[in-house]
Amino acid sequence: MLFKDDEVARADALAVRKDSGWYRWTHDTVDVTGADSTALLDKLLVNTVAQCNVGREKYTTMLDDSGGIIDDLMAIRLEENHWWLSTLYGPQMVRWLGEHAEGCDVAFSDITPEIDMFSVQGPRSAEVMDKLLDAPVDELKRFQIVDASIGGISVRVDRGGFTGELGYEIYCSRSDSDQILKLLRDADSRELQTLEVFVRSLPMEKGMALRQDYHHLTPFEANLGWSVHLDKKGDFVGRAALEKAQEVGPRYAFVGVEIERESYEDICQNEIVRKRGIPVGKCRQMIYGYTVGKNIGYAIVDPKRCPLGTKVTIGPNDSPAVIVAPKWC
Amino acid sequence: MALKQRVDLHRGVETAFGKVIPEKEAYSFCLRTIAAFSANIFQVMRILNDDWEDRTARICETANMMNCAACSGSEGQLQQYLNAFYDEWNIPEFVDREAWIGAIWGDYGDEAEDMAGRVIQFTRNRVEKELDSCPWDIVGSEMCNMTTAMFTANFDIAAGGEHGKITNDVALNMCEARGCGDPHCRVVAERLDAFGLHHQGWLDHRGESAAPVHDTPLERRVKHAQGLRNGQYTQTFGEEHSFEWQYNWVAQMGWVWSISFPLIAIRDMEKNDGDFDRVLPIVFSTAGKNHFVDPFAREGLRAWLDIPREVGDNDPRVMGAYIGAIMGCQLVPFEWEAFDSDGVTIKVSTDDFNGRFPMAPLDEITAGYEAEWNGAVKTLVSPEWSVWIDGKDDEYQFIQIGRKIDTHMV
Repeated sequence: MLFKDDEVARADALAVRKDSGWYRWTHDTVDVTGADSTALLDKLLVNTVAQCNVGREKYTTMLDDSGGIIDDLMAIRLEENHWWLSTLYGPQMVRWLGEHAEGCDVAFSDITPEIDMFSVQGPRSAEVMDKLLDAPVDELKRFQIVDASIGGISVRVDRGGFTGELGYEIYCSRSDSDQILKLLRDADSRELQTLEVFVRSLPMEKGMALRQDYHHLTPFEANLGWSVHLDKKGDFVGRAALEKAQEVGPRYAFVGVEIERESYEDICQNEIVRKRGIPVGKCRQMIYGYTVGKNIGYAIVDPKRCPLGTKVTIGPNDSPAVIVAPKWC
Repeated sequence: MALKQRVDLHRGVETAFGKVIPEKEAYSFCLRTIAAFSANIFQVMRILNDDWEDRTARICETANMMNCAACSGSEGQLQQYLNAFYDEWNIPEFVDREAWIGAIWGDYGDEAEDMAGRVIQFTRNRVEKELDSCPWDIVGSEMCNMTTAMFTANFDIAAGGEHGKITNDVALNMCEARGCGDPHCRVVAERLDAFGLHHQGWLDHRGESAAPVHDTPLERRVKHAQGLRNGQYTQTFGEEHSFEWQYNWVAQMGWVWSISFPLIAIRDMEKNDGDFDRVLPIVFSTAGKNHFVDPFAREGLRAWLDIPREVGDNDPRVMGAYIGAIMGCQLVPFEWEAFDSDGVTIKVSTDDFNGRFPMAPLDEITAGYEAEWNGAVKTLVSPEWSVWIDGKDDEYQFIQIGRKIDTHMV
């Protein structure tokens, strides 16, 4: 069975695109508090999070000194001096904060073990949420987070997600997980079974990437140049390297690839991309897109050699592919 | 354009005659020598125990127990151990990392050992691992079963129903290749509760999976693992480990899972005291003698090591160069004490030679190689020559290639 023939995965994907689906998804969460918390985050993040209002979130990147992306994340402002940072690996982020927090009035910790998170996604997700919640949240704006209650259990709900659809995320205490899980299972919504669908297939179709896809690229190379405002923002980690990178131009282009064969299954991360037999880059990840009906993926390639439409091969079996824009629907 | 300042540097193992074996080739040779050593050990097992089911069940049980013991201790100690692992590989919580740590562990081990393939599905209730090739097939099907017992342990230590107990929460099935010879192997792990499955015994791992498998078509399969293909291993969560790391891992851990764990069970299979110590050198000596019975085998070795024609066929340096290449590719540090037509002496720390993974030293490495090399020198050089190891119980041991009259050669 090829992935395109996996009916469980297909039903998962289509539930989110056409109806609603939910799954337990706990990105790691780092809690940051203290009088200097906003200043510290502004030093570590590319975007100016100080401009983010309480109860709102901002998508941004975190760079190392060479200007390479360590992680892309949501900075969630819960209170004036209280933030949550979403990340795919909390312990690493805590260490990075620690390296830059000397002398700051700030406290931070990885709270992933204490909180749980469920994601309800799809065009009918607002209806599902309104039935679950004690008070409706259908007025919630994108990237807004509020305190709410489900069956008398205190939760936080934000409007967002990683599928490109209307969606909501429910944060609760781990001690309440089982009760929330039961209520979700009783809700009129499909429980997704296939991790690949909600971690890779659905996001990739919409051009959303994982931390590992962007790793070591500058924001310019990751098509996130829109998030860099060197003229409006002061110093931050990676700024000097970004200024230089802007002068020199991108080393890589972050592109989409479409496999022109029935399956993609031999292609793993970092498989070599070749143009006429010459290495021109590396594949980042491949997956089957159930909405678009194609084997799709991301790659980083030599921007001069690989404009859109370039024919390439990927991996040891020379899988034929074409370079496309990294968004499919 | 100006000329280069010098030739690019290439990493590799330098042989006694100055030829450099490239790093990737050295790694493959290292892997093959460990697999061959393991194959010999498994032959010892088959002599001591002629019942396939009994010996398979016993090495499965031992391998499972040893994998569990590797991270035994209090609940806090186990969590510390697991956290260090998550940290090394940046494994996020959202995948239910406790539930599937066996698959994560297994995948990097497989890749390091050049069992080329992929984790083809990694979901909440099911993991499917597909192997396109396996250089370990030379060992035997007992080992295939043994790896399922290791997987089971890895699942249970992190996600078992009760701390410190083997609860076998998953069904593991080698639902494709069920032995050696079929290059394509597939292991599927499915949660018992999610699929309504029953607990398995050690010999029950050859069933079919509950849900359909995801097959990679023949023309899309790979011949080597990521390290040889792409220069590094990248696991599901994007964390990269270099080829150098992979090579080092194999040179240490390859001896543990494929030799050290089975040996615990095998030693226990002897019916009479001393059977194991008697049989082991016979098996290894025979294997050694058969290395070079064909004339082209000797010629092939000479070409591979670039042994000059001035060094004749009846010269101990031919054997010395061979042993040096094995130790070099196995990443064992050593010194040449003598290397001429009168004989060869190689000095090596006993800890380094036997303790490839320092926590699990194996005296059997010395015993096995002494017998194997003493057999090999008879056909590679001539029966006039012997290989023996002095100072086995000392800080340093000396591998000797010299003329020796042996009235009782086995």
